[in-house]
Amino acid sequence: MSRAVITGCGIVSALGLGTRAFWNALSEGRAAVGPIRHFDASKLPTRVAGEVPVLETNGTWLREALGGHLSEVAIEAWEQSGALRDRKIGFGWVAALEAWRQAGCGDDGQDTWLSMALGLEQAFLEDFGPLLRKEGGRPSIDWAAESGAPLPRVRFRSRIDLCAEGLTSMLRLGGPVIPHVSACAAGTLAVAHAASLIERGAATRVLCGASDSMVNPLGLGGMSRLGAPSPRAEPDACRPFDRRRDGLVIGEGAAMFVVESEERALARGALPLARILGWGSTQDAYRATAPLPDGAMAKRAMQQALKRAGLSARDIGYVNAHGTGTPLNDPAEARAIREVLGHVPVSSIKGAVGHLMAASGAVELAACLLPFQRDCLPGTAHHRERDPECDIDVIGERPREAHVDTVLSNSFGFGGQNATIILGRWS
Amino acid sequence: MRPVAVVAASAVSARGLGWRGLGQALRTGTSAATPCEALGGILAAQVPALPAAQDVEPRQRKLMSRGARLSCVAARQLFQEMPSLPREETGFFLGVGASGGAVEELEAMLEGSFSEAHFDVGRFGTAGLNACNPLFAFQLMNNYTLCHAAIREGLRGPNAAIFSRGAGTVLALAEARYAVASGECETALAGGADSALHPVTWAELRRDGYASVMPGEGAAVLALAPQGTGSSLAILERCEVHPRRQQIDLSLESARRSLIAFNPEVVVLAASSGRGGSAHEIAATVGTGAVLQASEFFGETLAASAALATVVALDLLQEGALRVGVLVAGPDESLGIVGLVREGTS
Repeated sequence: MSRAVITGCGIVSALGLGTRAFWNALSEGRAAVGPIRHFDASKLPTRVAGEVPVLETNGTWLREALGGHLSEVAIEAWEQSGALRDRKIGFGWVAALEAWRQAGCGDDGQDTWLSMALGLEQAFLEDFGPLLRKEGGRPSIDWAAESGAPLPRVRFRSRIDLCAEGLTSMLRLGGPVIPHVSACAAGTLAVAHAASLIERGAATRVLCGASDSMVNPLGLGGMSRLGAPSPRAEPDACRPFDRRRDGLVIGEGAAMFVVESEERALARGALPLARILGWGSTQDAYRATAPLPDGAMAKRAMQQALKRAGLSARDIGYVNAHGTGTPLNDPAEARAIREVLGHVPVSSIKGAVGHLMAASGAVELAACLLPFQRDCLPGTAHHRERDPECDIDVIGERPREAHVDTVLSNSFGFGGQNATIILGRWS
Repeated sequence: MRPVAVVAASAVSARGLGWRGLGQALRTGTSAATPCEALGGILAAQVPALPAAQDVEPRQRKLMSRGARLSCVAARQLFQEMPSLPREETGFFLGVGASGGAVEELEAMLEGSFSEAHFDVGRFGTAGLNACNPLFAFQLMNNYTLCHAAIREGLRGPNAAIFSRGAGTVLALAEARYAVASGECETALAGGADSALHPVTWAELRRDGYASVMPGEGAAVLALAPQGTGSSLAILERCEVHPRRQQIDLSLESARRSLIAFNPEVVVLAASSGRGGSAHEIAATVGTGAVLQASEFFGETLAASAALATVVALDLLQEGALRVGVLVAGPDESLGIVGLVREGTS
């Protein structure tokens, strides 16, 4: 059986572009949630986000961010199609290219699979204007007018797999594309799937990770209607495991990894960043609108990951929690962590970068590399008051120095999908 | 690795509920196309009225896209046919389509959000959002196509929702097969559910060059278990995807070779007629006697197409075939292959 290792990592988040910016900020305990800047959100129910500091993900930005890796003709074609309006497309490309370069993969992607978690299509509500009619006093959309409407090629919504399609073309990836859409568990499942493909010998190299952005009117508005975001439009709106927590903050960005077999990585002189030791997934099968209160299925996902890794609870040195800062998630997760792992340092980076939805698991996995890179456990931004309902060792706002060899990351999706992954220090 | 058997199946399509008899119907019948009101009266392969015994509660429908509802119906039908299937630790891997919220909710939201034909973010944030069902967001989350069925049937094992416009559902089948073969779970459900009848999905298909296909909808689910642990309908011998590459001929050739190596007596083809020419050619040159065209029968059902074609293959095995291949070519131009053999002939 081949062992899966991570040899490259790339990140785009509210903390900036690139792994260095991300790890530096987490090491210093900085947070980046603030007022939304790239469109006027002042009249929306949610006005703060973990927004990537890029005002417009257009061709000009792409030329600079991709450093000439995408041809001028291709950039113009993507821009004219209207697809770059969907921010997660460019974010995914930039993160993937950083991971690809860091891993030293060169130009040959023919043997590489792509396992990528992608958020929902971005809806472009403004595109519906030319089709909107009123018939008998009620609104209706005249779909027959769609083909003649003066709209860009990507109308109404971006297609889910556009980011993946661009990547396969840009990096000449020759393997199958696996678009994971398991909501907030998808990023973790995409990386776990990559490791599974390596272990079973189906693939020798997989580019994997996630990209998402719901920092747009329908994304923010839809989540607000569900009551998930904090009602406070403040930088500390998300306070994971804090007694005063009152909801999540939406974030955006991407994290991508190159995962390959350890033998192949070493043979080509690549230096692994971590081993992928185990993973597990379960379903709450409880309610469409709430997580299982006792965390039983989250607990089982962690137990499965430990079993697959051949580890015991005391081997885990740090837990990167899903930790959304919502009243329901945090107590259920805390209970599951306590029952499976006991007294282990736990933090959530969602207070610092927001909840990246489909990309949350991937970006949080990138945070899990920090202990191996710098002997530093990320802190929990805006966690100030301990909650007896979350009776675990929550690392506060300041990061904690520690040397750990094994870390565990949880991701739980809307709808009850749970995923856990365990990384080990490579030495 | 343990060989994996199909132990139960279910389907919901324009032909109604059930999978038995679909092989014969496909050989002799024509599509069950009817004018689709939501798409301006064009012919579409629509699922007929759903029986109450399988359908979801009206209250629950407010949370669901059409694909999610069809997935729930297919899963319920599966457990009704085989009540002894375990649930608690059963895996569930599903190919799912794009977001699909109710158009009436969208229209209400839009009306509240436009001012003199211009989208107004401020109006959207107040009147627009307030005009629609607060649960509309759940209809848009496509992983709920899996989650609603898992919740309804109490499926708590390993799971993943994979976006599919055809071959992605073959990846879901492959993951379920691996989960059972490797011992990660003893039983897994796998399949796909989707509707191409949503106006936005249909607009996208037309823009992508599929104006000549007939849109359809449906869902199909297979229950997988290790061979020898129960009544086997077939052995799931092959599940693979040949991706679209820069040189399209390479993909076609690798898929053709794989299908020849599998040596099926019959190939069930799930390929949109708009651009499925290459897949037709492959199916016609593998040296088999029969090629059955599933997409013209079920319509273009996107994420459901591979699963519906696979239950047709299953039915052909019950009729006497020994080896049946499924070739899937969706609008993403990836090619998927599924190979089923009758137990004892592998």
